[in-house]
Amino acid sequence: MATAEIFFEHERWSRNLAWSLGLHVAVAGLILLYAVVGPSSHGAGWGAGGGGDAIGVTLVNTIPLPAPAVQTENVLANESKGLTQSLPKVEEKEKEPEAIPIPDKDVKPKKAPKETSTKRQKPQPEPVEANNIVPFGQGGPVSGPYGTFSAGEAKGGFGFTGGGGDFGTRYGWYVRVVQQKVQQSWLTYDVDRRITEAPRVYLTFDVLRDGRPSNVQVEQSSGIPSLDQSAIRAIQRIDTFGPLPSDYSGNKVSVEFWFDYKR
Amino acid sequence: MHRLFKWLLPILLFSPSTFSQDWIRTGTGLGVEKVRLAVPDFKASTQDAKNTDLLKVFNDTLWNDLDNAGIFDMVSKSFYPLGPVGSPPDVKFEAWSAPPPNAAMLAFGNLGASGNTLTVQGWLYDAKNVTSPQVLGKQYQDAATTDAARAIAHKFADEIIFRLGGGIQGIAESKIYFVSSRSGRKEIWAMDYDGANQHALTHVGSISLSPRVSPDGSRIAFSSLTRTGWDILMYSVDVGRLVAFPRFGGTNLSPAWSPDGTKLAFSSSRGGDPEIYVVDQSGSNLKRLTSFKGPDVSPAWNRKTGAQMAWVSGRSGLPQIYTMEADGTNPQRLTEEGYAVSPAWSPNGQFLVFSWIRHYGPGAPGAQDIYIMDIASKQWVQLTHDGGRNDFPYWSPDGRHIIFQSSRSGSEQIWTMLADGTNQKQLSFAGSNTQPNWSWK
Repeated sequence: MATAEIFFEHERWSRNLAWSLGLHVAVAGLILLYAVVGPSSHGAGWGAGGGGDAIGVTLVNTIPLPAPAVQTENVLANESKGLTQSLPKVEEKEKEPEAIPIPDKDVKPKKAPKETSTKRQKPQPEPVEANNIVPFGQGGPVSGPYGTFSAGEAKGGFGFTGGGGDFGTRYGWYVRVVQQKVQQSWLTYDVDRRITEAPRVYLTFDVLRDGRPSNVQVEQSSGIPSLDQSAIRAIQRIDTFGPLPSDYSGNKVSVEFWFDYKR
Repeated sequence: MHRLFKWLLPILLFSPSTFSQDWIRTGTGLGVEKVRLAVPDFKASTQDAKNTDLLKVFNDTLWNDLDNAGIFDMVSKSFYPLGPVGSPPDVKFEAWSAPPPNAAMLAFGNLGASGNTLTVQGWLYDAKNVTSPQVLGKQYQDAATTDAARAIAHKFADEIIFRLGGGIQGIAESKIYFVSSRSGRKEIWAMDYDGANQHALTHVGSISLSPRVSPDGSRIAFSSLTRTGWDILMYSVDVGRLVAFPRFGGTNLSPAWSPDGTKLAFSSSRGGDPEIYVVDQSGSNLKRLTSFKGPDVSPAWNRKTGAQMAWVSGRSGLPQIYTMEADGTNPQRLTEEGYAVSPAWSPNGQFLVFSWIRHYGPGAPGAQDIYIMDIASKQWVQLTHDGGRNDFPYWSPDGRHIIFQSSRSGSEQIWTMLADGTNQKQLSFAGSNTQPNWSWK
């Protein structure tokens, strides 16, 4: 009796195995088939991902943005001159001043004396009195080795033209992040103490898709090595600016950043 | 032809440029201010009776998280245009970006319970960019409980902070571990970063001090008075109880995890004099780092590199902050006067925060305050002043906040502040609460 039962189970088991094998092969086949046929539908949605690992997330993208695949070709057809000239960026910088920046650059040296007068004194041990008590009304945020440039002297502006992309207008918030982060990480005590004022340093660097800065270069030196170095270090100190906007299709953004130094 | 043009025009105007080399041109001295962020209350999207409670918890949590982040200038709700904003068509850009609210960013959305499911939709808009305003759009689903509503608010706040804060993960989901005596004995407790959900972890029944959570958040090392003296004990967060860890003899205090979680530094007097030792996370492979007469305690690893360590040494008399390489070489003294203790290294590896009585001794006022020192330049700033004894500072994972213990309210309690000394807030109120430690993420 018992043996008969065992036989029975053996028979059943092999049958199940056959089913299982068949199903696995079918699933594998389906995956392969999807890999071959799928990508067209897969490519359309990749840019929409929010990139977060939140629970049960579906991204609600309400901007009726055209799908990237087709339209970029159109854009290229239209603006390719500007778009593909990524190498001769120096030329473009020369072109650019016809809009806003040139008056700025001209005005800058004249404005300089004013700013030195309004400049905040560098906080050193002296605000702290012997008894460690900060006088009434003088509390609030410290400005120490960081945040050296929280000055309210808003001058100049930033242009995002150049290469022809519209990154600056579409993602103004990201530009502000870049600006804020570089400014925060610039520690000016690296600079030679005897220097009180210096010409602008222009740096260029790329922000990669994941937000890492790379390829930092001095585009125009100030003529003061320690100042150039401190500017480069400000960028190198930054791990990430945060990933580029998820619906931005490029894989990097180039940044030109200038540093005005005054003591 | 006309139809074709109509179809093409928006594409030409708005399409992202795949092959373009986009340029940003910007510089210093442009007056970087905090982002003005408006967060109108989320709107109910269903008719469920639970919505009122859930909305209140959600809205309060979201507002507090963003307000605490330290990177936003929150636009007061009294300036907001009338009418709820629950979804993108409700947004009137001019009303938000024009002077009364003058908001640069707008976070809004809706929340609705139906049955046992809670659905939240949230958006972040650039209020001054009418053509392509969306920075973020998210939908969350979870159980319709207030805890879930709070968790979703934390997640959405963290997404906003991550985007607008330069890729630094928000801390709304982080935890704080501390010592509390409110059960009668000093035990290790845990709470959310905003002080909510305070609960006891250990029940050792003696005195437990200086909790330090491992970088992966799975274990908490602390020192406790046992039958054999002060020993390092290990609590597993995953299984919710103490797990085995070797005893080394002598008095063992102030454990500190290396940033990769493979090593534990602590102070031990097993050889007579308190010195800094390092062991593997399993407790094996004990190595001594310091050997100098006078106590050496409170090690703190460089959280960015793991290659240096700060600690407190009494080798020159009063305790001072020193740094050394993680193998014990190249000791450097950082503080030159007073009484300096409790160093903690900032997540970016650039600063030390510590507690300092700068003028110590007879006739000196002896205020104990929290200071930050830039390690490269030894420049320091004072963050607290004029309020009790302030000690045991520790950094938040985003490097923007500092948690510490202060006696300014009359008893020892846990406080937080931004790393520039502003926005000081008390988190604990019952009993006496000390020695806070912030989770690594």
